[in-house]
Amino acid sequence: MSEPQAPAFRRAVVALNGGPSDERIVRLVAEHARHTKAELIGVHVVEIDWTLPLDSDIAGRSEEVQRVLDAAEAVAEESKVRLEPVLLQARDVGAAIVDEAVERAADLLVVGLPYRKRFGGEFAIGRTIPYILQNAPAAVWVVRDPISEEPR
Amino acid sequence: MFVLVVGGGKVGYYLAKELIESGHEVALMEKDAARASHIADEIGSIVIAHDGCEGKYLGEAGCNRADVVAAVTGDDEDNLVICQMAKHHFDVPRTIARVNNPKNEALFRHLGVDELISPTRMILGSIEQDIPVHELLHLAALGEGELELIEAHLQAGSPAIGRAPRDLSIPEGCTLFAVIRDGVATPLRPDTVMLEGDKVIAIGKTECQDLLHDQLIGETVSADA
Repeated sequence: MSEPQAPAFRRAVVALNGGPSDERIVRLVAEHARHTKAELIGVHVVEIDWTLPLDSDIAGRSEEVQRVLDAAEAVAEESKVRLEPVLLQARDVGAAIVDEAVERAADLLVVGLPYRKRFGGEFAIGRTIPYILQNAPAAVWVVRDPISEEPR
Repeated sequence: MFVLVVGGGKVGYYLAKELIESGHEVALMEKDAARASHIADEIGSIVIAHDGCEGKYLGEAGCNRADVVAAVTGDDEDNLVICQMAKHHFDVPRTIARVNNPKNEALFRHLGVDELISPTRMILGSIEQDIPVHELLHLAALGEGELELIEAHLQAGSPAIGRAPRDLSIPEGCTLFAVIRDGVATPLRPDTVMLEGDKVIAIGKTECQDLLHDQLIGETVSADA
């Protein structure tokens, strides 16, 4: 029996949150893109709170933001795939990612999900991924981080 | 222009929508989480699901940089608190409040709210325009609210008929400035003789209205008469 194939895509938006899952999702999607010659767009969104205008020069000055994009590009290059880095400022991360995917006519959106628990132990999915799952017109891959081993 | 709308009822929702379509930056505060989520689904991520009566949340909503705060909740008390905080704590240049009970208008003005919108007063004014009454018709509040634009429809029995403004004792702080006759508006000069059926437009202080009423309308005629 042959291995099941991931569905082909032409253009994928990869949501970069600056965490450990970035490398995992970029590597995963780049491996698929290498065979299909698909286009990759790495999007990192800096959320701007309402006390500042949306066009405040926040993200452009941040070295951390540049590091997130550079790291994603480097991982994609290892798979011989080009990833276009995109930096956005927005009020809401989920809405910005979906809007970018729509604007770029992406047929795949890939997001990483850190494994987090709320106070009390319940798994917390946050609000960005439910928003994306509910609103993105493209297919969505959600890649959850592994559960870290409990310290002994 | 950045406009902070507080209250996500029908008024707040449509106000925010229109402002966005006009190209303004808008944030909308709605304390009911379900309603806030519904509005966000409709018009995007401009909704802050918190109570605008709390200074902390007004601050988080960017009140410090708002050009206008419009308090349009269904509660006059809330709208007054929101405008007070916006004006005095966040130095917002322009505050606008929805006032549901016209009796609260004076209090809002006294406490420094820049502009009042009273749907009740507007509907009342519209009804009065359609019903012939022997009263002064309040068309609009002007300036800080101490002045009003007033229309007087001169009907039989009016002491102003056949006389010119210079012959009347117009109270101080009040000006008759136009007359509408046969649907045509013309400036009202001191020697213009007023006729039955004329609509005289005046601007005056609220406290002058009783005297103005005596000069233009005369004695009120009972509806049963």
